[in-house]
Amino acid sequence: MQILAQLIVSGIAVGMIYGVIAFGYQLTFATSKTLNFGQGEALMLGSLVGLTVVAYTGYWLMLPVVLAFGLLQGAVVERLGVRQAIKTKSEAGWIMATIALGIIFKNLAENIWGRDALKFPSPLPEAPLSFMGVNVLPMEVAIVFGALALMLAVEFFNRRSIYGKAVVATANDRDAAGLMGINTSLVITFSYALSSMTAAFAGVLVAPVTLTGASMGGVLGLKAFAVAIIGGLSSGMGVIVGGLILGITETLFGYYFSTGYKDVPGLVLLLLVLSVKPSGLFGAAAIKKV
Amino acid sequence: MLKVENLVAGYGKVQVLQDVSLEVPQGSLVTLIGSNGAGKTTTLRAVSGMIQAQSGRITLNGGDITGMAMHDITKRGMAHSPEGRRVFPTLPVADNLLLGAFTRVTGSRPKGNVAADLDRMYALFPRLAERRAQLAGTLSGGEQQMLAMARALMLNPLVLLLDEPSMGLAPRLVEEVFAIIARLKAERVTMLLVEQFAAAALDVADFGYVLENGRVAASGPAAALKNDPAVRAAYLGAAH
Ligand SMILES: Nc1ncnc2c1ncn2[C@@H]1O[C@H](COP(=O)(O)OP(=O)(O)OP(=O)(O)O)[C@@H](O)[C@H]1O
Ligand SMILES: [Mg+2]
Repeated sequence: MQILAQLIVSGIAVGMIYGVIAFGYQLTFATSKTLNFGQGEALMLGSLVGLTVVAYTGYWLMLPVVLAFGLLQGAVVERLGVRQAIKTKSEAGWIMATIALGIIFKNLAENIWGRDALKFPSPLPEAPLSFMGVNVLPMEVAIVFGALALMLAVEFFNRRSIYGKAVVATANDRDAAGLMGINTSLVITFSYALSSMTAAFAGVLVAPVTLTGASMGGVLGLKAFAVAIIGGLSSGMGVIVGGLILGITETLFGYYFSTGYKDVPGLVLLLLVLSVKPSGLFGAAAIKKV
Repeated sequence: MLKVENLVAGYGKVQVLQDVSLEVPQGSLVTLIGSNGAGKTTTLRAVSGMIQAQSGRITLNGGDITGMAMHDITKRGMAHSPEGRRVFPTLPVADNLLLGAFTRVTGSRPKGNVAADLDRMYALFPRLAERRAQLAGTLSGGEQQMLAMARALMLNPLVLLLDEPSMGLAPRLVEEVFAIIARLKAERVTMLLVEQFAAAALDVADFGYVLENGRVAASGPAAALKNDPAVRAAYLGAAH
C-alpha cells in the first residue's frame, strides 16, 4: 500500500511535467492549427541554458533568463519554420520544418554542452520529506505547483488582458480577429514564443530531479505529444488529467512489470485513444486537421 | 471618405470583381445591391483587406489602403461587420464588444471613452445588454448578427461596412435592424450597406449601386434607383 502511494506520488510529478509540455502544444495549435514538434528540444535548450546561467545567478534569478530565452527561441522557430507554411497553407511544411529545427537545436546543444547527462543543482533540499512513510522530494512538490502556476498564469492572461483576449479571438476566427485590428501573424509568433517558454520552464523544473543533457528532449516531447492527444488539443483540464494518467501509469508499470518497457503504456494509451476517440478524452473534434 | 476605383479582385485564379468603382462620401449611407453571387461580399472583403485586390485603388479618408494588411486597414478606421456574423464564439458578449475597440484600447486609434461606448451599444441593442456575460457562441443567430454590428461600431469607425445585417432574422427583427441603421445614419455614421432587402435598403440609403457579375450595372441616388424600371424589375419585384 505504501509502495503504491509512493509510486503514485512520483507519477504525479512526472505527469505534471508531461502536462505542462502538452499545454505548450495546445498554445500553438489554438492559434495556428500547427504544432512545434521540436517542443522537447525547446525544453532541453531551456534546461541547458539554465544550467549555464545558474552558475552565475543562482536558481531563482536564472528563471527569468530562461523564460526570456524560451520566448525568443519559440519566436525564431515560428519565423523560420512555420510562418511560410501557414501563409502557403502547406500541411506538411510546418511538420518537417519544426522537426528539422529540433534536430538542429539538438546538434547545437551536443556541440556546446556535450553528449553526457549533466547534473542540475537543486534549489531545494535534496533530502526527501516523509509523509506517513511516503517520500516526496521537495523539488517534486515544486514541479507540481510550478506547472500549475504557469498554466494558471497563461489562463489568467488570456481571460483578463486585452492582449490575451486577442489571442483567444485569433484562435476562434483568425480573419475576424484581423478585422478587429489584431495583427494575427504576430499573435501566432507570440503563441510559439509562449509555447517554448512553457517548455523551457518545464526543463528547469524537471532537471534537478532527472538530469539534463542534449538528448533529454526527444522522449519527453513525444510523451507530452501523447498527452496532448489523450487530453485533447483544446482542453487545459485535459492535459493535466492526461499527464497524470500517463505519469502514474508509467511509474506503476515500471515498478510492477518492467522498467525496460516503461515507455510502452503511454504509447499504447495513445494508440488506444487515437482509435477510439481521436479528439482526445476531453476535446472537441480538434485533431482532424493535423 | 471611401473611394474604390476600378477594383479587380477574386479568389485565387477566379476573378469575381471585373471592374468596380464606387464612392461613399462622409456621413452618407450608400447601399450595394445585386443578385446572389454578384460580388457584393467580395467587394467588401477587398475593401477591408480580407482579400487582396488584383488591381485598382482603394482610398480611405484620402489615404491609399490598397494592398494593406487587414489589421492596418482597421487601424485607419475601417470597420467591417462581415457576412456570416463571425463573432468569437468562446468569448462572452462583453469581450466581443471590447475587441471591437481593440485598436482604441491598445492605442493605435484615438481612445475616446470605451466604457461609455459599451453602454451606448447596450442601449442600442438591449438584447445584448441582457446577455453581456453569455458566450457569443450560445446566442441566437439574430443576436449574433446584432453583436457583429455592435462590435464593428465599437471601433468608432470612419466607414462602417455592413454585409447583410438582416440575414436570417425574423421580420420583426429585420425592422429593428433597419431602424438602427436609420438611427446611425441620423448620427452621420458613414456606411456602405449590402442588403438582400433591396427595397428597404434603397429606402434608407442616400445613394445606391447595382452590382451585376462583378461590375457596376447602375448607380444613382437611392430614390431614383428605386423608380428605375430595370432595377425594379430585376431587384425589387415587379409588384413593388
Ligand atoms: N472564398 C471563396 N472562394 C472562392 N470563390 C468564392 C469565395 N467566396 C465567394 N466566391 C465566389 O465569388 C462569387 C461572388 O460571391 P460573393 O460572396 O461576393 O457574392 P454576393 O454578391 O455577396 O452574394 P450573396 O448575395 O449570395 O451573398 C460567387 O460566384 C462565389 O461563388
Ligand atoms: Mg454576400
